[in-house]
Amino acid sequence: MTRPLRSLIACACVAVVAAPLALSAQVRHGRIVGRVIDASTGLGLSDVGVQVVGTTLGTSSGVDGRFAIAKIDAGTVTIHLRRIGFTPKTITGLMLDPGQALEQNVALEAATLRLTAQVVTAASERGTVSEALDRQRNSNGVVSAVTAEQIQKSPDGNAAQAVQRVSGVTVQDGKYVFVRGLGERYTTSSLNGTRMPSPEPEKRVVPLDLFPAGLLQSITTTKTFTPDQPGDFSGAQVDIKTREFPAARTYSAQFGSGYAAGATGRALSLAQGVGGERLALVGSKRALPQLLREVGNFQGLNLSHGDKNLLVSQFRNAWSPQAATGAPNVSGSFAVGGDDPILFGHRLGYLFSGTLSQSVDVKNDQVRALADRGTVKGSTNEIDRFTGETTAQSVLWGGLANLSTMAGRHSRLFLNAIYNRSADNSTRIERGSFENEGIEARIQRMQYVERAVRSTQLGAEHAVGESHAFDWVLSDAQVRRSEPDRSEFVQQVERDTPTSPEAFRWLSTGNGGAVRTFSQLDESSREARANYQFTFGPAGAQHRLKAGGLLRQTDRDADTRAFSISAPGATNEVRELRPEQIFDGRFATSQSRVFDIAPLSQGGSYGARDRLAAAYLMGEWTATERLKLVGGARAEWDRLDVDAVSTLGSPIATAKRWNDILPSLAVTLTLPRDQQLRLSASRTLARPEYRELSPIKSRDVLNGDDVQGNDQLERTRVVNLDVRWEWYPHASEVLSLAVFHKTFDQPIERVYRAAGSGTRTVFYTNARRAENLGVELEARKSLAFIADAFSSLQVFTNVTVMQSRIELPSNTQASATNLKRRMVGQAPYVLNSGLTWVSQSGAASATVLFNQVGDRIDAAGDAPLPDVIERTRRVLDLSLRVPISGALSARFDAKNLLDAPYRTTQGTVTRESYRVGRVVQAGLSWRP
Amino acid sequence: MFPIRRVAALLFAAAALTACGNDSSTAPTVTPVLGASATALSSSAVKLTFNSKAGDTGYTIERAEGAAGAFGLVGTVAAPSTAGAVSYTDANLKVSTAYRYRIITVRGSSTSVASAEISVTTLAFGSAAAEIATDITANRTLYADTTYTLKGFIHVANGATLTIQPGTTIKGDFNTLGSSLMVLRGAKIQAVGTAEAPIVFTSSRLAGQRQAGDWGGLIIVGNAPINRSGSVEIEGSGTDGQAVVGGKNYQVLYSGGTTVTDNSGELKYVRVEFAGFAPSLNNELNTFTFAAVGSGTRLSYLNAVNGLDDSFEFFGGAADLSYAVAYEGEDDQFDMSEGFQGRLQFLISYKSTNIPIRTGAGSYASDLQGIENDGCNGSGCDLGFDTAPLTTPVVANFTLIGPASQTITGAGGGYGLMLRRGTGGYYVNGVLARYPAAGISVRDVATYARAGSTAIPDLAAADLAVKNVFIAETPNAFQAATATQNVFDLAGNGITHSAATTAASLFTTLPATGAVPSGASAFDFTPAAGSAIATGGLATFTGKLATKAGTAVTGTSYLGAAAPGGVKWWQGWTNYVRN
Repeated sequence: MTRPLRSLIACACVAVVAAPLALSAQVRHGRIVGRVIDASTGLGLSDVGVQVVGTTLGTSSGVDGRFAIAKIDAGTVTIHLRRIGFTPKTITGLMLDPGQALEQNVALEAATLRLTAQVVTAASERGTVSEALDRQRNSNGVVSAVTAEQIQKSPDGNAAQAVQRVSGVTVQDGKYVFVRGLGERYTTSSLNGTRMPSPEPEKRVVPLDLFPAGLLQSITTTKTFTPDQPGDFSGAQVDIKTREFPAARTYSAQFGSGYAAGATGRALSLAQGVGGERLALVGSKRALPQLLREVGNFQGLNLSHGDKNLLVSQFRNAWSPQAATGAPNVSGSFAVGGDDPILFGHRLGYLFSGTLSQSVDVKNDQVRALADRGTVKGSTNEIDRFTGETTAQSVLWGGLANLSTMAGRHSRLFLNAIYNRSADNSTRIERGSFENEGIEARIQRMQYVERAVRSTQLGAEHAVGESHAFDWVLSDAQVRRSEPDRSEFVQQVERDTPTSPEAFRWLSTGNGGAVRTFSQLDESSREARANYQFTFGPAGAQHRLKAGGLLRQTDRDADTRAFSISAPGATNEVRELRPEQIFDGRFATSQSRVFDIAPLSQGGSYGARDRLAAAYLMGEWTATERLKLVGGARAEWDRLDVDAVSTLGSPIATAKRWNDILPSLAVTLTLPRDQQLRLSASRTLARPEYRELSPIKSRDVLNGDDVQGNDQLERTRVVNLDVRWEWYPHASEVLSLAVFHKTFDQPIERVYRAAGSGTRTVFYTNARRAENLGVELEARKSLAFIADAFSSLQVFTNVTVMQSRIELPSNTQASATNLKRRMVGQAPYVLNSGLTWVSQSGAASATVLFNQVGDRIDAAGDAPLPDVIERTRRVLDLSLRVPISGALSARFDAKNLLDAPYRTTQGTVTRESYRVGRVVQAGLSWRP
Repeated sequence: MFPIRRVAALLFAAAALTACGNDSSTAPTVTPVLGASATALSSSAVKLTFNSKAGDTGYTIERAEGAAGAFGLVGTVAAPSTAGAVSYTDANLKVSTAYRYRIITVRGSSTSVASAEISVTTLAFGSAAAEIATDITANRTLYADTTYTLKGFIHVANGATLTIQPGTTIKGDFNTLGSSLMVLRGAKIQAVGTAEAPIVFTSSRLAGQRQAGDWGGLIIVGNAPINRSGSVEIEGSGTDGQAVVGGKNYQVLYSGGTTVTDNSGELKYVRVEFAGFAPSLNNELNTFTFAAVGSGTRLSYLNAVNGLDDSFEFFGGAADLSYAVAYEGEDDQFDMSEGFQGRLQFLISYKSTNIPIRTGAGSYASDLQGIENDGCNGSGCDLGFDTAPLTTPVVANFTLIGPASQTITGAGGGYGLMLRRGTGGYYVNGVLARYPAAGISVRDVATYARAGSTAIPDLAAADLAVKNVFIAETPNAFQAATATQNVFDLAGNGITHSAATTAASLFTTLPATGAVPSGASAFDFTPAAGSAIATGGLATFTGKLATKAGTAVTGTSYLGAAAPGGVKWWQGWTNYVRN
């Protein structure tokens, strides 16, 4: 093994749970690894000479500023770093234990800013690196980040929970991210920089609850566009970065268990399983029976009673939940990582991590109702009110494998693989009345949803000399959402005489009394991208030219089938039986004439092909020490085809070809006293989701509405203006104020179209225009200024206040109450606050987190009804980390302490309301 | 070897993670052709058409004669290289003979099961057949010597007038899903038959094989007002999008009309059978749909037979209708809403059983009523149930016979007169029989308010009144009073309730409950000798009823749709088949 290969293995930032572990063989020596960055830009600096003072040991930093020096005698070590154009720096007091790999990141300042050489202690240099803030400070645009360190101090279990700590972010349904009050369609999600495919049939969004917190390095929310980002960025890009390998071999394991008030230990009605549900690996018993697959939408078939009985008997005879006791929540994870010479003596950085969590969630005091129009214009009457409870058994597991190695001194190769899988097995039982039929009813619904994400990325970074850098990534990702065999069973609650007891009888007429639904969506995406960067000019005032391109193909296949079983003419004796008796075969003999069966989800299947090519050119020009300009343009060519078959069997293809040039310009002014002012202007776009473009009408069986797309939809063009002032008074302290303004040309809105008999269809249309204006404030401050005793306390808050206005054209066929209103999904304000205490050693910490989102429009009103509003909800979480002994530490979390109800209203009607209950959990971490 | 093992383990672990996503899928099987159609080209030739699927090699065609003949091979046809339309013409057939065909798909060495059977009858000597597959955008006449087949959603548009000769038969193609005739706003239909030669719209399937929902139905859109604001489309229209393409189910709006007296033409002696296909879930088409049809349109002697949704449905508008028979409709027999202002007299409905539904066409209603009238419902009801104009029809001389069983009417059904959501109207001189729930339901407070919130509405002021109605063989006169439901006074409104009086005893001839009628001779709605309904009618209209009725509807001394000893106006042109 050659010395350079061995010594120049790159290493990433230390993973959260990393702690060094002695390697048994080399007891006298240690290793120092790290990364050198340009203090003014945060970018890695290559070709920096790194010398261990008093020895002949040394190296120079490679690609991305990474360096490693091995075989250093243990003890107190000093290193010296120098590069032309930068002020040399000496780091003293590095305490290197035998067998240890010590990580030391260093920031170098341009010689023009500081002439005299610097000598700093290791401890103080380390303190300057506060990853989240550095990212924020050094990026070209407006960026907010949550890092593993912050996630660790919160009770957050997945990426969706963690990202809501970012300023301006709201999370809907615990999954979907809204940034600055713009709908999901204006937020794109990527994993390690690569776009994630979407597992949702009616939307193109990535539910972030799919990513367990234990696998995350950071979640970065970029709010301004630069040409090296995808052009359909308009609100924000959320990038999930998975953990990289630690500098030295590390093992860690965590285990936790929790008590959920209202679920744990309670007698609950839980969904039935047929094997595999507990691990989100459902078996074939839930698959759509082959016979039903073959008969398709039944059109053109003449089914006899015998045929219908045969079809009905194909379904699993499971309609009712089981009585069970709510199990406590459990979670566990492990990780092993390191950077060892295992590849024939060549160093390979590796991280393998796995995580599993199971929980039982209950929505208590659940109410849902519809609003009907009152006799005063805009007033509301409550109809179809149902009350009940939903229980869900959820499991989420996943793993990642990240490998990285140096190929020569100037190239780093990496392979990232991640796989996550989740399942929610839920039961909803409710009772209420239907206004249209004038009957009382009891509904029981069992729903099982499984989601999986797989992503593999292979890439490399190459540095050629001091001024050329090249990187490329090939990626392949696949998501699946599978909802096999959802069942609904409706009973009518009748009294034969006013005094007789209630009888529960199957609603055996119509097509909603007994329904089975099978839905599956697969989306796969392959992407290749490459970037080239040329750096020139004097050190510390360097200019950069960046060019690159991307090719991406996304394919989606969505298939939904639903079947309704009825029994026209069934007697009360039949209807009073339990569903498992009705469907046990006694009425499905070939002579029986009880059942009828009909397909429901005609036209609910479609496929989409999306081919995107993009190229960009951008430059960073450091005009003066104080002024930096970043500008350029991106060109995108998109070919989008959506194919579907209408209810009536005719294929309908929609083809869209969109070519766009997206310019952007950003200015960063460095002001005295660690202040910065950023100005940015850009043009971006938002394309319609796939389903929205298909003009067929189908029943969205997942939500119960008729849905029709619109092949006339145009993409939305967005002009973004951002101004942000930032002040970094100390390391890990910040105060910033931002103002943003967005103008949308032809934004896409979800509206209702009305039909006879009071029925309606969800439809999509281009509104004329929309505007969004907001102010963001972010502050993070140590309380040391009060007294030294408070130095371990840090308070932080971020507030976004915004307003928007969308205008629908007056000739719209939408039955909209307001042609001008706020955009759907936009909250008037989002507030996050927290207080963190960290002990001197860093081993113990306590965090209080508070989150509040203002009233936002959940759905636009259907004339003349008012809009549906999701009400403000306050959330308070508490989290505590305590060392126990040695490698063992404990964590205590209390979530949702206020237990405020989720509530959406429309006028005076509560459309939906429930409580999720408080959760207390405790866990142990072992990090030898 | 130590490092190699480690590398292998690492790579294996990475590969395992990567491979996790590749779940297995089920193997495809050869499926038969769906939706094939057959057309008689002449007295000796039949043409089969269907769509091929990618991967098919060819198709084997089999034929059988009559209803019971055995199938035999008649030929094969190769699949086109790219999936598309395939046709096969079978010649040298017998004249006026029924044949059944079926198609077997061949894919390499595999074959499918046989497709569903397709029936067709060769034409008689001297008769002609014609297909209508595109929209009618210029004046056109359909002739009695030709049998027309509607293939697709055929719109009479562009102000055209469609004239149909007496005795003409128009079939809705069973194989072109949802085939229907839509007369759009501005266009007219002149379909004037005679009692001897009615105009018949029916299923393209052979008699004996026909089912409810075999085809779409007859839809007329006028330019009269409705009480909903904004854009409202015909239920079930628009499944093929908004772009206007002839023969396709594009979106049709009926809101925004302004002319109460608008004229969409005339329908007289017209029968529509086996209609009601649902182009999308729960959006069955009605047998007769009158959407915003104005009072200049003349409607009389109409017969709805075995339709899947409502037999006659009026969405707003002001069209008058006299002499109508609804037979075995699977939902409401008469339905009026959205500010309907028309006047209806001499209405018969007979509902006794569930007619089998075409597979996949839709489903039985869960709330089948005799008459179901709504004030305003859905978006654009700006003042909710009070939105003007109120639904205020005059409905006189109705004879509504229900199925006597709630297992047929569905859980929410079984009422003779369902008055909901703020509807008004005057319901006089009627007979309700065999309704399993109750004769009349005044479902909500807003509806009761139309009557002046009093048990005996004053015709001088009330927008809602039920007067002089006989309720027989029905357990309750009214749905029981609750906080929201109300009842009218029986005697004060001339309402007679006699649960013990059988329907059969009231009329000259009526099938027993649940009996299969032998045909037209099984029905004579004239009051039987000494029947209670021969008298007791409201002969003189007063107040708002008189104003509203004008000269279109007059009072009678009897109850129900037939005068004692009067003309049996339903005879000769109505149909009472079940398949």
